[in-house]
Amino acid sequence: MEIREERINDVEVLKLEGRLDASSAKDIKEKVASLTKENLVIDMEGIDFIDSSGLGSLVSSLRSVNKLGGDIKISALQDQVRAIFELTRLHRIFGIYDDSDAAAMSF
Amino acid sequence: MGIRSVKFTIDSNLENIPLIGMSVNKLCSSASFSNVDSFNIELCVVEAITNSIKHACCGESGHEITVAFTLTQEDVMLDICDDGACPMNPERLDKAVIKHPGDDVIDIEGIAEGGRGLGIMKEIMDSVTYRSKEGENCLTLIKKLPVK
Repeated sequence: MEIREERINDVEVLKLEGRLDASSAKDIKEKVASLTKENLVIDMEGIDFIDSSGLGSLVSSLRSVNKLGGDIKISALQDQVRAIFELTRLHRIFGIYDDSDAAAMSF
Repeated sequence: MGIRSVKFTIDSNLENIPLIGMSVNKLCSSASFSNVDSFNIELCVVEAITNSIKHACCGESGHEITVAFTLTQEDVMLDICDDGACPMNPERLDKAVIKHPGDDVIDIEGIAEGGRGLGIMKEIMDSVTYRSKEGENCLTLIKKLPVK
């Protein structure tokens, strides 16, 4: 999985590409832990597969950011990935937006 | 059409899992499953293999994981087997459900990071069974073919 960093309106945006699974889950956790900004957008337009390890890494990342008083917004979920968020009801703990601009502006 | 089967074998390394996942997805599409169902079946196989590697094989490489894909006239069966020294307690499968966040107040600290794999499999597949015998541990997933 590739992770690219961007900034929109002074909000950190991580653009993910590939599969968010057991082998890549630690990468996103480490990247989020290394950031110092409180608010973060994770753009998932490039993620075509997620499993429970990937979901867990997002939950763990949200906990890290919450400890700094911040939040994580998710953007651009592909349909099949969104379906797994809904299957596990984790769509209820993240703000989910159609694109990273909308997610960044929501802060 | 008779029974058709193919078997995949990988080393117990997490990096190898997508090879089987993507193959299973393609095979399911060829068996007339929708894109959604093919993705969901791929997810279940990935969850099963991940569990084999992380738990049964204690996260060690050097073990053999096999995935047999069998297509009948009624269903597709996936048999995920390992030779790990730490087989799953079958009670875990019996009790597995997807732990959802609370309905009212969502406490992020109370939301589990892991433990959803078996629940996801039970939600998606029509049958999930487990056996461990003579050093071989196998999880069997069955999904009925779509009605034409």
